[in-house]
Amino acid sequence: MRYRVNSPQVITETIDGEAIMINLATGSYYSLDRVGGDVWSLLEASLPVDDIVAELGRSYEATEDDIRRGVEDLLHRLSGEELVVACDDAEPVRPVPPRSATAERAPFRVPKLEKFTDMQDLILLDPVHEVDSRGWPHLPNGQAGGK
Amino acid sequence: MANLDAAFRKASAEQQVENRSFRIGGHQVLLRFAGAGAIPSIVPAFAHLQAEPFDEPELVVDIWDSATTGAAPPARPDVDAEEPVGAFYFFEEPPARGVFQPGMQALSALDHSTDRAWYWVADPTALPYWERAAPIRQILHWWMATRGHQQVHSGAVGTPDGGVLLVGKGGSGKSTCSLASLVSELRYAGDDYTMVSLEPRPWVHSLFSSGKVDPENLWRVPHLVPAVSNAEHLAQEKAVVFVDQHFPDRPIDGFPLSAIVLPTITGGPRTRALPISRAAALTALAPSTVFQLHTAGSEALQYMARLVRRVPAFVLELGTDVSEIPDVILALLDELRVATP
Repeated sequence: MRYRVNSPQVITETIDGEAIMINLATGSYYSLDRVGGDVWSLLEASLPVDDIVAELGRSYEATEDDIRRGVEDLLHRLSGEELVVACDDAEPVRPVPPRSATAERAPFRVPKLEKFTDMQDLILLDPVHEVDSRGWPHLPNGQAGGK
Repeated sequence: MANLDAAFRKASAEQQVENRSFRIGGHQVLLRFAGAGAIPSIVPAFAHLQAEPFDEPELVVDIWDSATTGAAPPARPDVDAEEPVGAFYFFEEPPARGVFQPGMQALSALDHSTDRAWYWVADPTALPYWERAAPIRQILHWWMATRGHQQVHSGAVGTPDGGVLLVGKGGSGKSTCSLASLVSELRYAGDDYTMVSLEPRPWVHSLFSSGKVDPENLWRVPHLVPAVSNAEHLAQEKAVVFVDQHFPDRPIDGFPLSAIVLPTITGGPRTRALPISRAAALTALAPSTVFQLHTAGSEALQYMARLVRRVPAFVLELGTDVSEIPDVILALLDELRVATP
């Protein structure tokens, strides 16, 4: 099973290992802690879930089952928030930054996704409609002024 | 865009064309008005950036209205009567962009290939207070982005040596911090929308000299009361002040960016600054900017992330004594100056 970021509806940045995601369609935005940020960066590469679990196993101290459960729970939430969508196996996997297996792996914590909804009112009050090139801002007969 | 150009020329045929020049973000901007009708609704917000006429302005914005010129409105998209008054109708067909805002009957358009823009409004006296406080914001956002700048939803105060960007959603205290600083050594670059650039070093540029305060919070900043420009409308509007008119030595066109500061109302008595993560700073800055600008997206988010990576970030826990705020910001700037001389 593979997922990809639901772009262009979702825009995202990772900073100091933490990810921020903005859903332009719903007005919600989200943050992910470092473990979640690691999962997110692997999702951005459209890696299969099995490979995400394997990659995390090199960085974090936990059983594969615990990591898989954490990843799948997060994917379920991300999918429910329309931040990621399932993708076709034919879609290319993007290169993943190399991770060195460290002697001391960090303890694995369940990824923490925070959701913020304080911008949703803005979307409701100031909805944006895209207008195509037909009819506006050009006048049908090329005259200046009048509608 | 030829039709908008023709519409402006038609409106200005029987009107005196009034030119006003401004240096915004270091760029030469000419606002060209068909008649004087729209000037009182547009120019006060830029008064602190007024400049001598330029031989070859970099951006020319033609501005006209129908109420005072009698000109027929330009073509606009069909609008569903059920739409909220804040609806945006966005048009993008490179090199042209436009936005029609039916709630205030205003149209903004920019032709990137000619650095020409047009702003039409049905009746300038009917523009809402927030538009008079931050006029032609979309045009500036689009055009300045092509010059390496990013408009951000933030206040900004500082000194010529360095200052802070005050970020956060509406109601977080950006305006309180910005406007409280008017009675201090700090200079004022804005309370709601400012502009930043990254090279050669992070920099804040002032766009508007205006400030807005919820009427119920005016008592916290009593020095503003005599400066309120819309005192008769405070039952429906935020109090708007044009800083240059009442505090003429306070506005500043910009300064180096020393820190990003996230004000937070705590209810406690004292004000203090504490470091926060860059991710927290980006979370406070980026979503509100993206949604307030309406037409910003992935590139704007990347820009803001680059900015956040370049400067430290702090939460400013606001105490109940507002007069402490500028002192705490000044002390923070002093500390940062010592840390990075």
